[in-house]
Amino acid sequence: MLFAILNGLSTGAAVFLVAAGLTFVFGILRVMNFAHGHFFMIGAYVAFSIIGQHTDSTLNYVLVSLLAGAVVAVLGVITDFTVLRRLRNVDHAYMMIATFALLMVASGASKLIWGLDSYSISPPPAFEGGFSLSDTIFIPAFSAFVFGIGVVVFLVLDVVIHRSWVGKIMQSVAHDSWMAGQLGINVPVLYTGAVVLAFFLAGLAGGLLLPNQGLSPGLAFSYLLHAFVAVIIGGLGNIRGAFVASMLMGLIESISLVLLPNVPGLTIYVVMVGFLLWRPQGLFGQGGAH
Amino acid sequence: MSQAIVAEGVGKNYGPIPALKTATFRVEPGEVFAIIGPNGAGKTTLFKVLTGEVLPDRGRVLCGDLDVSRMPAHQRAARGFGRTFQVARVFGNSTALDNVVVAIESRQRVAGKVAGRWYQFRAAPSVIEEAMQMLGALGLAAKRDVEARFLSHGDKKRLELAITLALKPGVLMLDEPTAGMSPSDRHQTVELLARIRKETGATVLLTEHDMDVVWGLADRVMVLNYGELIAIGRPEEIRANKAVRELYLGEELEHA
Amino acid sequence: MSGTRTALFIVIGVLILASAPFWTSQAIVFLIGLTLIDAVFALSWNLLFGFTGLTTFGHAAFFAVGAYATALALRMHAPIHFLVLLAGVALLGAVLSVLVGMVVLRRAAGIALAILTMALGEILHIIIGYSVALGREDGMSGIPRPKLNLFVTNLNLASGNNYYWFLCIVCALVAGALCWLTFGRVGRVLRSIQQDPERTAFLGVNVARYRLLSFTIAGAIAALAGGLYTPWVQTITPDLADTFRSAQPMLNALLGGAQSFWGPVVGTALFALVNFSTRTLAGLSELVVGIVLLLVILIAPTGVMGLLGKLRKKRTEAPAAEPSAPAAPRNSSAPMASADAKLAPVKEGGQ
Repeated sequence: MLFAILNGLSTGAAVFLVAAGLTFVFGILRVMNFAHGHFFMIGAYVAFSIIGQHTDSTLNYVLVSLLAGAVVAVLGVITDFTVLRRLRNVDHAYMMIATFALLMVASGASKLIWGLDSYSISPPPAFEGGFSLSDTIFIPAFSAFVFGIGVVVFLVLDVVIHRSWVGKIMQSVAHDSWMAGQLGINVPVLYTGAVVLAFFLAGLAGGLLLPNQGLSPGLAFSYLLHAFVAVIIGGLGNIRGAFVASMLMGLIESISLVLLPNVPGLTIYVVMVGFLLWRPQGLFGQGGAH
Repeated sequence: MSQAIVAEGVGKNYGPIPALKTATFRVEPGEVFAIIGPNGAGKTTLFKVLTGEVLPDRGRVLCGDLDVSRMPAHQRAARGFGRTFQVARVFGNSTALDNVVVAIESRQRVAGKVAGRWYQFRAAPSVIEEAMQMLGALGLAAKRDVEARFLSHGDKKRLELAITLALKPGVLMLDEPTAGMSPSDRHQTVELLARIRKETGATVLLTEHDMDVVWGLADRVMVLNYGELIAIGRPEEIRANKAVRELYLGEELEHA
Repeated sequence: MSGTRTALFIVIGVLILASAPFWTSQAIVFLIGLTLIDAVFALSWNLLFGFTGLTTFGHAAFFAVGAYATALALRMHAPIHFLVLLAGVALLGAVLSVLVGMVVLRRAAGIALAILTMALGEILHIIIGYSVALGREDGMSGIPRPKLNLFVTNLNLASGNNYYWFLCIVCALVAGALCWLTFGRVGRVLRSIQQDPERTAFLGVNVARYRLLSFTIAGAIAALAGGLYTPWVQTITPDLADTFRSAQPMLNALLGGAQSFWGPVVGTALFALVNFSTRTLAGLSELVVGIVLLLVILIAPTGVMGLLGKLRKKRTEAPAAEPSAPAAPRNSSAPMASADAKLAPVKEGGQ
């Protein structure tokens, strides 16, 4: 059981890395990007193409992930200019469907470039094995690493958004973009900046999480759904909420694997459905990038 | 069909702000009752409470003998509350004729019997005829096949009035019926409303900023400020009322 | 578009389609059949989206329920008349929709509704995938096409092109019924709700009840489409309920034009064409469809039918003034009322 909890924290951190970008984009641009999971996956594929199934150097692994992040960030800029920008004032329904179309473009392109095969990837040697806390508790090093990354990213985002001047500007734009523009803030640049950050994060996550679950065409969608759960429960646009919700979700999922092994994956959706029905605004309410 | 409207201690807060503190008044059947006051006085909030768009935090609303305070908007409408909006809300993608037809069919449905055979998909001839009559009475007959979003502002307001009248309401609630209209339009609207009042005998509640309209139509006037009743009475009384004059200091209460 | 003209249009369409086995290969006939079913599915989704203003991402769940229910019944050789089976399946879909709708529609709207329905769809997808009775991930195969008892004769739908012709007729009937619904009284109310729900409430309409009605009908028809699907393909798998299948009618409807009744049908046909011509490369069809859809939304949100409509208007507006609109009232300065027209007519027809 303890193992399940630790595992859950690690899973939660992984989901958070994707959910953060999703909720961030919503908070600032008011666009729910259904394609976000696929950009995460593209980051993973890019990293995979460079590094292959096995790497010896931790440094390479991290660098390649950063590179993947950069590639996806560039894609993000292109996407922003061609699609996302135009979706701001469009009816909800069309916005969702447009990002869904974006999902298909990303999905189709990935299949064409990288094919349909699945791969499993092993983590760099530094992370193999783990460490024992006691006789019965063994923590795989990689899971700990993932958890660590999740926490670090969260702390960085939190500090940036709540304490830095950039963050304050972002909050004001999220809150009232017209007014922010009147105050001299270059709103379009900020939007692009937000998109770049969110997509970079997704790509980076893609690279870093490669050894976590391997690579397969269904990866994007499963992460997307999990990210949705986290984002909804945490409150749209609310990063702190997304963090808590992702962790909660990871825990629920791994605990349910232990308690209800026959229907894995079901619990989390049931929880989300229940949540949406009970408290549609999320645990912490909607944020504007906070 | 027209009924007395009674508000007893009605109040509504938006968060910590009491948009409407407490309002108690009675509108007699068939009378034209105007609600005036500066912006932010709570007129629209009061309206929303009376029509069911928003539920009151305090107090009751009665229509005749029936307590309608917690009744949702569609039930109040079914009981004869007709409502127009400050910015005319019509069904933009439907033709003017269809707009009125939907209203008529809704009225018939509430009454329990919709004209026409169930398997026909067009509206029954009697419904179309009634709709055309209504459009004609409001000067929109020529625009029957125009989609509502292409109508001018004034036409939209008239269409909205047509839709509302098609419901045969016992109570007409008009939110700034002449807002945004040119003087000649305004004049015609006043005449129209006077005719409506005379021919249907409906109780009319309206909010207005234009005093011309108010003095021209109202049987009684109520003045709101900061969510509270300042004065209520016949137009002459209101015009003479010191508190009201202070409120509108600098504004014209007399007209040539 | 009058009732008789529409009916004629449908009949001609059916005749053309029905003749397909005589001038094309069996493979193409199979695809046409699939397209017909998908078109009905798309029409049912568009009832919700284009005509009631509800966006759901889990519609395939009803389709899957219909498909699997039919599969079970046919596999067990249940002694029910096939038409009764289909009706039963539609009823099942309706009951399910009512139950889901009652809970979901009241509590969620917009994005929340979309994600909620997506989650519900995935839940069903997972449940089906784990259900041993339903064949788990492999689904059910070898489902026979039934015999249809037409009272004067027994039509064996398993032989020749009989099932295809059956499909043509049934799909046409369903489309016709939906057309009647959409342009009739109920449809008028639904369209008002889609345009301005609050205003519609102020007309005395119980908006929630109508939304539920629309949801129920859409669910029933989707289940019916699923029921027609099973004997046609004879093998079904759990991914009939996944989000991509739910998104399919959305793509079809938008491509063809969600505001037009026949838009989804046009979209389904176009989509099928695209899919067919790009079937060789995995992922190519997704890419093309995604790009096309993006273009549609960003440039022409009214879809193909919308564009055609605009073109038609341009052509008829070009010459002189329209005969139906007399010269005078350009704006609101028109004289308001004729003295004789009563505002509260005393006598009338159907009140």
